[in-house]
Amino acid sequence: MAIPLPFGNYLARDTPIHRIDARIKLLLLAVYVFAIFACSTWAGLLALLLVLIVLFAVAHIPPRRALRGLKPILFILLFTFIANAFTFSTINLSETIPLLGSFGIRPSGVVKGLYFALRISMLVLVTALLTYTTSVVSLTDATTKLLSPLRALRVPVEDIAMVFTIALRFIPLTVSEAEKLVVAQSARGARFNQGGPLARIKAWIPVMIPLFVNLFRRADHLAQAMESRCYVGKGRTLLAHTHLVARDAAWAIGGSVLLVAVGLLL
Amino acid sequence: MLPGSLFLDHRQTLQQVSFCVHPGEWVVLLGANGSGKSTLARLANGLLLPNEGEVVADGISSWQHDRLLELRKRVGLVSHDADNQIVSTTVFDEVAFGPQNLGWEPERIYAAVRGALAQVGLAGDEFEKRDPNSLSGGEKQRVVIAALMAMEPGYLVLDEPTAMLDPVARSQVLRSIALAKQAGHGILQITHLLKEASFADRVLVLHNGKLVYDGAPEGILGNQAALTAYGLAARPHKKVPLAAAALDSAAAFDSAAAPRLSLNKVSFAYPDTVSCKPALENIDLTLAGGECLLLVGPSGSGKSTLLTLAAGLMQPTEGEVLLKGSPPKPGQVGLVFQQPETQLFAQTLCEDILFGPKNLGFALSEHGNTEKALIDKVLNAVGLEPGRFKHRSPFSLSGGEARRAAIATILALQTDFLLLDEPTAGLDARGRAFVYELVQDLIAAGKGIIIATHNPELFASLATSKREL
Repeated sequence: MAIPLPFGNYLARDTPIHRIDARIKLLLLAVYVFAIFACSTWAGLLALLLVLIVLFAVAHIPPRRALRGLKPILFILLFTFIANAFTFSTINLSETIPLLGSFGIRPSGVVKGLYFALRISMLVLVTALLTYTTSVVSLTDATTKLLSPLRALRVPVEDIAMVFTIALRFIPLTVSEAEKLVVAQSARGARFNQGGPLARIKAWIPVMIPLFVNLFRRADHLAQAMESRCYVGKGRTLLAHTHLVARDAAWAIGGSVLLVAVGLLL
Repeated sequence: MLPGSLFLDHRQTLQQVSFCVHPGEWVVLLGANGSGKSTLARLANGLLLPNEGEVVADGISSWQHDRLLELRKRVGLVSHDADNQIVSTTVFDEVAFGPQNLGWEPERIYAAVRGALAQVGLAGDEFEKRDPNSLSGGEKQRVVIAALMAMEPGYLVLDEPTAMLDPVARSQVLRSIALAKQAGHGILQITHLLKEASFADRVLVLHNGKLVYDGAPEGILGNQAALTAYGLAARPHKKVPLAAAALDSAAAFDSAAAPRLSLNKVSFAYPDTVSCKPALENIDLTLAGGECLLLVGPSGSGKSTLLTLAAGLMQPTEGEVLLKGSPPKPGQVGLVFQQPETQLFAQTLCEDILFGPKNLGFALSEHGNTEKALIDKVLNAVGLEPGRFKHRSPFSLSGGEARRAAIATILALQTDFLLLDEPTAGLDARGRAFVYELVQDLIAAGKGIIIATHNPELFASLATSKREL
């Protein structure tokens, strides 16, 4: 039984998009999101969509893979569209094509619904582009660096980063442990997809209990391993793995100017 | 280095233990499960503090609380499960973790990481970027050793560093240890494997918390009587099969209806793997009741996959698995996984034992004799006295007891075939002897057995065939 991981989208390629420093990518993501909300016309939105399509092409992400990210939000997209396109309202009757009583369809609403649905899709797609082209490790690194000014406000940035790192390392291990337990308990006749909801939840007890017991044991051993290597949570040297290069600066400046211009002017 | 004793659980785990490890010396400490080895390892590194006595490394005493970090830096500690010691998401970060904690300058850290990885034979830009989860068991353990070497310790304490490894990885780890010794580190390696003691400059033996031997390897390794007394060697009790039992099983399994487990041209590939290379290709094998097949091969050669297929828990990509003529359903072939004790979950051993039979709908009358008889039978079979153990929580058992209990839960399925995946991993001499005797009993009872093992010598006299993957 394969348990899906919440991440693992990263497609290791060597493209200009992959090579941009993760901090710059996070910055550009923020600017892109700002541009999407700043622009109020179809021309602006379509221009931003075009930018996104070009970026996906440069990053060598197959279209089908790119669109996969929209699947979980199909319902939201549909709801957004329907909520805008159809109306029960009796105001502006001239604009409404009645279907049944006060229930009708509004042409302007259809356009508006499409606009909002596209906007949401683009928000999701641009985030997907980031995760497709940036490994989780560089993302955590980048987040830590971007958060580091908060240290002045006594936010324990290093501790947060350590928590993230350990989670990243142990989530895949825990998932594979859970998979092993599922197989092992099946060998003892356990059935996981039979019966009502309660029976199904009960069926997972023989997996969950040993999983948690093992996790606590693991946590204990890991803490010892960290302590025995002199981890005290402070006074650590921070290593800069990546240095911003001219190319990153060019992307940051060029990208921001373009996106802001599109967002504000169109 | 270690005159001390530790008070724990109202009994002395260690009593008046004193010895010294010199720089450049390889000392092996032998001791059976429960002899106090791991406690000693943590004392040596300053993770635990002795109640009496002290640990001194290069003049730093464990009583100098303000210098505890210095002590931990001087004495690196490696434990048997590499997965529980790796903190970071890349090999580089892992090796840099210790030096970072010490607050070194970045340049010094980079140099130390490169140097330490080269010392265990794992240098390379590509390797530094790897995710520890993608490494083999041997590589992980060597990364752990490198991570300690990078901190420039004087001494390395290794607590059963090879317990979970196959022979190839084991010898690689031992080579890394030898290199550390050559570099002038003092080594204290803790193990219950006599084989590994022969490399040592000096051997210590710990028995019930007391140091009972300190001297040259030759002085103890040849002394069978002493080794047996300290639980470091155990000659399995070889039973002459009872004539009646032998006749009984012979009669039962000579007939045409004799159970047979067979794999016909079985291939298997894991979905979603990057390489399209199948885990198993074109495997043919047949096993009848009363036979014992040894499955050998390095880690990752597909031994566990084969057992999982044979137990009907996964379907082969090609070919077929047949039990008495039809594909086995889960539960029809008993499969004891690696470290099966991690699968115990119930409040009492009773419940855990009955979990399988109840799932499979065996006719067991509640509170009746059958249920009790089954529990008594399987607990007796694994040498746990039913009266003492059946109401215990599985989580209160010692390592060796838990392994036996876990095997009992599979025996309770009363299958004709039993597949064992590395049943002796991590067990000391007595534990290994127990597994040997159990397999002997099962064969005598007419069961067909497959054992996947890194230690085929142990079962050689029981095996009817051997297959290399």
